[in-house]
Amino acid sequence: MLRIGTAACILATIGLAQDFKFTIGNAVASQDFQMKTATFVFRTEGCAEPSKSRIGATAEGMVKGERRSVDLKVMTSASKPGVYAVYQMWPSEGDWVVSLKGTCAGVNAGAIVPIGPNGFVRESTKYFARAATGAEIDASLKALAKGAKK
Amino acid sequence: MFTRHVSRQLAAYIDGALSPQEAARVERHTARCAECRAEREQVKFGMEALDCLAVVEPPDAVWTSIERGAYAPAKRVHTSVNAARMSACATAAILALIGVAYWTIAHRAPAGEWIETDSKSSTIILVGQIGSVEIEPNTRLRVVTDRPDEHRLALARGEIRARISAPPKLFFVDTASGTAVDLGCEYTLKTDEDGAGLLRVTKGWVSFQWKGLESLVPAGASCRTRPQVGPGIPYFDDAPERLQQALESGALDTILAEARVRDTLTLWHLLSRVEIADRARVYDRIASLTPVPAGVSREQALKLDPETLGRWKEELAWTW
Repeated sequence: MLRIGTAACILATIGLAQDFKFTIGNAVASQDFQMKTATFVFRTEGCAEPSKSRIGATAEGMVKGERRSVDLKVMTSASKPGVYAVYQMWPSEGDWVVSLKGTCAGVNAGAIVPIGPNGFVRESTKYFARAATGAEIDASLKALAKGAKK
Repeated sequence: MFTRHVSRQLAAYIDGALSPQEAARVERHTARCAECRAEREQVKFGMEALDCLAVVEPPDAVWTSIERGAYAPAKRVHTSVNAARMSACATAAILALIGVAYWTIAHRAPAGEWIETDSKSSTIILVGQIGSVEIEPNTRLRVVTDRPDEHRLALARGEIRARISAPPKLFFVDTASGTAVDLGCEYTLKTDEDGAGLLRVTKGWVSFQWKGLESLVPAGASCRTRPQVGPGIPYFDDAPERLQQALESGALDTILAEARVRDTLTLWHLLSRVEIADRARVYDRIASLTPVPAGVSREQALKLDPETLGRWKEELAWTW
């Protein structure tokens, strides 16, 4: 009986975050004027309790042939739970992508958001059901350098 | 073991202005020095916050202190402490002078005042504590109100660039064919005396309103306005040229055919502006480009139910 109950709890927890994923948007999508200068904003979907999710971001770059990584602080919207903003905290020279990762109720999500001269490149953004690997980040940086910029 | 802290390099490091070797040294040091790591975070936030700051007027005391400093009798200094103090004072004085030079250009204009630039002049006015407006050549505008709860300009002709850092709906610019209502933004607005003009938004949102008509213009988008017609349909500056031309001529078939997902901005506005017979076509095109969210029904959308349209807009904005 206890096993069945435990299994049901686990399944319910997984069910709550079954389609946990990120959606990327322009700063205006947040409907939060305090985020208007963000490089981009994103929201979590499929997360019943955004306040309990863990969200992180790093800027991954290639500057003059040197691989760089910068930890980013993600701003949480005060008015819209589950909406976050990323600001440019990385150098303007070189090629950069932002790697997002999150966990909600034990379910993971990730994304690689390329940054072009005109801001983030929505069309080349990649989404994952886990954190992106180093190889995937490197591949996105190479693609960016080859001209996938906006 | 003694360590050289990297406080002085942090701003340049965050700005990407250090050489790779210097940057690597900062990274190595901050990786093992909690003090410098904490300082790096503070500097990062400070630099980020700078971007959001409004321009403010200098207190009169700035002038007084500069004058006092300029005419004060020189004192002899001998020690290195005094030299350091003098150096700091000199730096502060230079910064103050730069500030005053800026503030001389960027001045506050009282309500009721007309400002006019000729073909060779431009100026900047301060908008309370919330931002500034650059006034381009050949522009004529009036400061209508200058209160903490409402800053309003009337642009008779010419071009302005507004940078506002404040909660929405505190800053307004009237033209002959529409009022730009700031929703937290930066934008340029130009108009002729008849009211034919163009609003181009670079950050945030602007609501462009005229006699009950409203166009919401997000960053990266523009909106034309016409005399006796008011704000037109907004479009992204990178929208297909054929779509932009079709907006001018009113060729709905072309607009629908050319629209990309992002151009649901244009289509969402069209929904309430086309003839009833065409409304369903616009709805169907939006629905074909991006899934209709829960809570938005076709029936309510075609009836132009405000709540339904508002909910749909919030969802579509994630594609804009």
